[in-house]
Amino acid sequence: MKNQLFQFSVTRPKALFWGLLFVSLLAAALISNIKIDTDPENMLPADQVERVYHNQIKERFQLHDAIVVGMVSDTGKAIYRAEPLSEVVKLTEAISRIDGVIIPDLYSLASVDNISQEEGAIRFEWMMKQAPKDEATAKIIEANVERLPLFQNTLVSADQKAAAIYVPIKDKNESYRIASEIEKEITGLDSKLDYHITGLPVAEDTFGFEMFVQMGISAPLAAVMIFVLMWVFFRNFKFIAAPMVVAMATVIIIMGAMIGMGFTVHIMSSMIPIFLMPIAVVDSIHIMSEFADDYKKGNDKTDVMRRVVDKLYKPMLFTSLTSTVGFASLMLTPIPPVQVFGAFVAIGILLAFILTITFIPAYIQTLKAESLQSLVKVETQKSLLHRWLPSLGKLSLANAKVIILLFMVIIGFAAWGISKIQINDNPVRWFKSDHKVRIADKTLNEHFAGTYDAYLVLESDTEKLELEFKQIETELKGFGIELENLDKNSLGSKFNDLIVKIEDKLFEEEDENLEQILNKVEKLKSDLSIFLKPGVLKEIQKLQKGLMDSGLIGKTSSLVEAVKTVNRELASGKEEDYKIPATSNGVAQALLQYQSSHRPHDLWHLVTSDYSSSVIWLQMNSGDNQDMTNIVELTETYLKLNPLPKGIKAKWAGKTYLNKVWQDEMVAGMIMSLFSAFVVVFLMMVILFRNLWLGALAMLPLSITIITIYGVIGWFGKDYDMPIAVLSALTLGLSIDFAIHFVQRARDIYKQENNLEKTMALMFKEPATAISRNAIVIALGFTPLLVAPLMPYVTVGFFLAMIMAVSALVTLLLLPIGLKLLKRWSFN
Amino acid sequence: MNNFVKAGLVCIGILSAQIKAKEENLSIEEIIKKSYQACYYPGDDGQRKARMLIVDKGGNKQLRQFNIFRKDVEEAGDQNFLVVFEKPSDVKGTVFLVNKHLDSEDDRWLYLPGLDLEKRISASDKRTSFVGSNYFYEDISGRNYKLDNYELISEDNDYYRVKATPKSLDGVEFSHFELTIEKNTFMPRVISYYKGEKLYRKAEILELKNVDGYATVFKSKITDFETGSSTLVQFRKPDYDVGLDDSLFSARSLRNPPKGLK
Repeated sequence: MKNQLFQFSVTRPKALFWGLLFVSLLAAALISNIKIDTDPENMLPADQVERVYHNQIKERFQLHDAIVVGMVSDTGKAIYRAEPLSEVVKLTEAISRIDGVIIPDLYSLASVDNISQEEGAIRFEWMMKQAPKDEATAKIIEANVERLPLFQNTLVSADQKAAAIYVPIKDKNESYRIASEIEKEITGLDSKLDYHITGLPVAEDTFGFEMFVQMGISAPLAAVMIFVLMWVFFRNFKFIAAPMVVAMATVIIIMGAMIGMGFTVHIMSSMIPIFLMPIAVVDSIHIMSEFADDYKKGNDKTDVMRRVVDKLYKPMLFTSLTSTVGFASLMLTPIPPVQVFGAFVAIGILLAFILTITFIPAYIQTLKAESLQSLVKVETQKSLLHRWLPSLGKLSLANAKVIILLFMVIIGFAAWGISKIQINDNPVRWFKSDHKVRIADKTLNEHFAGTYDAYLVLESDTEKLELEFKQIETELKGFGIELENLDKNSLGSKFNDLIVKIEDKLFEEEDENLEQILNKVEKLKSDLSIFLKPGVLKEIQKLQKGLMDSGLIGKTSSLVEAVKTVNRELASGKEEDYKIPATSNGVAQALLQYQSSHRPHDLWHLVTSDYSSSVIWLQMNSGDNQDMTNIVELTETYLKLNPLPKGIKAKWAGKTYLNKVWQDEMVAGMIMSLFSAFVVVFLMMVILFRNLWLGALAMLPLSITIITIYGVIGWFGKDYDMPIAVLSALTLGLSIDFAIHFVQRARDIYKQENNLEKTMALMFKEPATAISRNAIVIALGFTPLLVAPLMPYVTVGFFLAMIMAVSALVTLLLLPIGLKLLKRWSFN
Repeated sequence: MNNFVKAGLVCIGILSAQIKAKEENLSIEEIIKKSYQACYYPGDDGQRKARMLIVDKGGNKQLRQFNIFRKDVEEAGDQNFLVVFEKPSDVKGTVFLVNKHLDSEDDRWLYLPGLDLEKRISASDKRTSFVGSNYFYEDISGRNYKLDNYELISEDNDYYRVKATPKSLDGVEFSHFELTIEKNTFMPRVISYYKGEKLYRKAEILELKNVDGYATVFKSKITDFETGSSTLVQFRKPDYDVGLDDSLFSARSLRNPPKGLK
């Protein structure tokens, strides 16, 4: 196949150019269909159990994604003054006019109800429908809020220095627009307060916007950087043009294919161009350098090219294949964006390889004689590197024992560092610490109970009741009563349907049997309403206290606070009546009064309308997976010691929890993918070198690099997050290249020289220069990432440079020693 | 409780209307007054069973079932109401008593058997939910027609279409509402509530029958387009001029409400 491809390239170069141009243009056209996806939820497959449950819970309790608007008093004065409160009213009114806001659930001091006592009567009124006219009115609002635990530290911070408006939105993809409109309203207020806008939807949408910008900046910048570096090394435009074309075509075709196939562009896949560009350039540089070295005036360019391709085909194929394996192994990670990233980088590497061995020969074929002449003048070897690399080689062999010891010490320290690695991620931290989203996040979480949500869902086991429902449903068919298909409705709703149908029937004609069934259905329905039972509510209250005692949670809210508050206002209005009523009927009747407010639907965010499922809302001031993990573990321990009443289960939902789930899956998946890629690459090395020892030796640089990099991450206290996790595959794919080239070339040279010292001396001329140059091109090629405003880009840029430096150094320092030690097995 | 009061327009058919022949050339004030009369003052007293189905956005239903008794203190003037809950069983025996006054605030009481508690209710406005449904207290006792300005938009053989704009926006969430009043019964068949140009809430009479010469609502519905929820009310056994005793509407009835209709 190699020969056919080569033949085609050199005989029909024009056809190849046009073909490549056509495919590239087609792909470029497809790129215009780009869809950005910044939803961290998509880190999990759509049918993933926890994600499906999370969405069921969102629907069950009518929970929405919300933008959080916070206003902080900068003077240190309390927010309960006429002026700041008037702004809350004005802003709430303005927000309620913005399209896409879910008005009934808009949560602000100006949109909620106050429940209070007035001369012995229970009173419902808007908390603050109108702006307070004076300080005395503002003080009344303070006193009212202080009586209502559901609002404290949520609508007004515990330190009273800040207020918040929670803006639920219909479509989270609109949050950037809605946040901008809110910002405009805030500007119009000409306020003395400090305003902040945050919330996961804003972070996500802003991130998407910045990511889009970065794709337009970072990738072209990387291209420019690579171009400049190549210019520094080769100083010949014709020489540089070929690798650039290969890199560009690879990136455009792969991105076009990915977008054309309907994949969304996620944070990971947005980095594909930046990953592919340096990798694609490297092989072409090899071919071009080799050609420039071998070509002499009067030679047949096709013949020279054929020899070059023959010589480099095997190492290039193997380096490409190993890099492909490294990235393809990411597909074993159960995180769809990482899978897509791995798959398309892997395909891209293969494409770059094919383009290199077809386009470059075709390109050379079309060059005129004088252009070829200028190529020959390109100094592929004379450089600074060329001067000091040989001394590095001597250093290596002369101090073998010291170097081995040094590496042992480094590995030891690195292993220690790895044991310190903190597995943690938080999408808000994807912004740099001076980004306004991070600042808002920090400020609001300092004042309030927390802008991060998780839900501990409590649900009763309804299996027995479902069974009874089915029996009654069958029995009722005998009376000519049938229910329409209502499978999606809750059991309580279905019981209500039965009651309605039976009553309609009884209205037509009295029937004692039917009357009995009706009583039974009503009994079953109240059995279902487990969260009206005072005993159960007391357990929830205990659980909430247990959660709060951990100190990890800002606030918990549940049905309990609602019930106790209404009970207090129904009774004396005094603290002693802030308690759960003694009977289920008492609870039900208190809640019927709660529903006599302006916002009865608020209740259904805490409990289902059939009272068979309830939720504890946790507000946390950290969105770190690690903190969520601690909370989940703590809850498990608590529930083991204090089990919930029989038949009640507790399960987690909420975005912060989902983030923890994908983080766990990613860590497990990465270990799996790293391990399997390691084994596959090792086998490939053994096959390539037909030697077990050399195979093992070739694995040494990448192994040491991976250990060192993660050791550094551990020591520096950098959290192991998604970009860091992906780096292992990258290291595996790139470090092995150096080892392959080094071992392969050393064997070739040894075959001619038959002398180890001479071989090594020669190795530290051209081959070592090539390895170092590639390391520098890739490492520096990624440096534009360091100035990106998004942390994942910065992380990848920084660690790529480090990977390149470490693995090149390990290759050049350790492999000569290894080859010497294994001389008996390696060169025969 | 400054205004559980006076007259009202929003008729959900807890009361009903005397059917009359069509009258021509009425002024807008006359149309509104007749409609108010038809809705809230048929006969000297009345009783009926009501069943509410509250349907949320997801289609889940909640049930509320109660008996309503009404007695007029004077025609088109003060009235008394007693609402006694039968279902769901955990709120059975909950009672609301309302003495509606035209010239002063209504008196509202509540009895909760589960807490053995009698309580007076106070509210800053009348647009709070009636037991979690899409009906407001104001929908049940009637919105004082003096609070709004009216304008006849159009009229055909069967209906008047009237636009009502509140004189003050305090305590209301709508900017205006439109009524479609049936000419031969003066019943408001549809009332649409707007926030600016946006229709956000709609009340409809779905089934109207003649009972003892009064146009009587058998089925009505309120839909809230903002929350996606709606409430359907069905009425049964409507009866007028029952001869209800005044003592039925005293505090004594709170703890000893009538079982079933009289």
